[in-house]
Amino acid sequence: MPADEKTLVTLALVFAPLSLVSVGGGPAVIAEMQHQAVIVNQWMTQREFADLFALARVAPGPGTLLATLIGFAVAGWLGALVVSVAFFLPSTLVAYAAASMFNRWRGSAWHAAIAAGLSPIAVGLVFAGAFAILAIDRGDLLPWGLALAVAAVRLWRPAVHPLLLVGVGAMIFTCARLFVA
Amino acid sequence: MPPWRGRSKTLHLRYAVRRGCAFDRKRSVSDTRKARSSVPRADAGAPPAVGLAQLFLLFSQLGMSSFGGNVSAWMHRELVQRRHLIGETEFIAALGLCRIMPGATVVNLATVVGRQLRGAAGATAAVLGLLVGPSLLVVAFALVYRRFAEVAAFHLVLEGAASASVGLMIAMGVSIGAHVVRGGRQANRSLAAPAAALAVMAATFVLIGVARFPMVPTVLCLAPVSIGAAYLWPASRRGEASDAGG
Repeated sequence: MPADEKTLVTLALVFAPLSLVSVGGGPAVIAEMQHQAVIVNQWMTQREFADLFALARVAPGPGTLLATLIGFAVAGWLGALVVSVAFFLPSTLVAYAAASMFNRWRGSAWHAAIAAGLSPIAVGLVFAGAFAILAIDRGDLLPWGLALAVAAVRLWRPAVHPLLLVGVGAMIFTCARLFVA
Repeated sequence: MPPWRGRSKTLHLRYAVRRGCAFDRKRSVSDTRKARSSVPRADAGAPPAVGLAQLFLLFSQLGMSSFGGNVSAWMHRELVQRRHLIGETEFIAALGLCRIMPGATVVNLATVVGRQLRGAAGATAAVLGLLVGPSLLVVAFALVYRRFAEVAAFHLVLEGAASASVGLMIAMGVSIGAHVVRGGRQANRSLAAPAAALAVMAATFVLIGVARFPMVPTVLCLAPVSIGAAYLWPASRRGEASDAGG
């Protein structure tokens, strides 16, 4: 599809506000992206959106690159660029300003308390995120087993490169699905 | 070797130890010299030891090797465990802050870490590194995917990689969780601080992960409690020093 100016402007206008309301990361706005891409602007079908979502999740890099993929699907490379800037720039500026402000208090008791207080929440959120992904197929024990095994090896032998773990894990997973089930 | 070289390294080491930051002892003398000549930063814990190009490449590498997502687990391994560019305590606090701010957590994390190391230019280099390479890769992936969408094994490999990478995330959770609990216990003899930290971790996990409460309001309720507890039972003044060993 040729990238006409109107489409590019629409892309920017859809994704720039999403950037600022994506509180809590990408997952917060995926539903709205789907709504905008499939229903409001009819850039793609539901099926195509689901495919792009799955791709962004398994491909290397942040899962939020889904936005870039939508831009590419709608208006080619220029679309990918426009969406990337619109979606990533505003939130990055906010994060930068917040970090600068937070650092101004460095050394005060409150700064230490906020940092220390946020830490256990960060840890809980990491586990919650892992659980949410694994719980998609609740009855399926293979992803659970593989994830826990990878975690155990990672903690037991930190020197092993994570890519090796992911590669071997993916192979074991594929073989188990193809030949065991 | 000119005499100032050895001296500058000693000074640099002492500075690093005093600030309690982790210091990579393998860092070369020329890096030290580079660090001295670059712009001093007012508020960061460690002397800048990375160039902008290096920062860009490092984050590109991080973004592109994180198959199956979970870039933050990769950042933890590279930035904290291997390169000691940022202290464990600082990384965990930044992770918490970045989770609750708008924007993708890892992009925010790149902003904060890049800023910490090299200011605004560093933040730009880190964010571009994290996004440019992986964007090209994800588009290439989409093109390849169209070709192989029919091959069943292709889906299975991707699904397997995603499950395995959740394992990396769990491992990071255990590792930073242990650090948070240990740091709290070290600070004062009582068990109050680590107990509070464990309770907040468990509450966050159960409410958001298992009970599926919406994240933002839940965190907004838990954060004041957790910060209040941290204020009541503060970590030791030299709490950051525990990073030097890790």
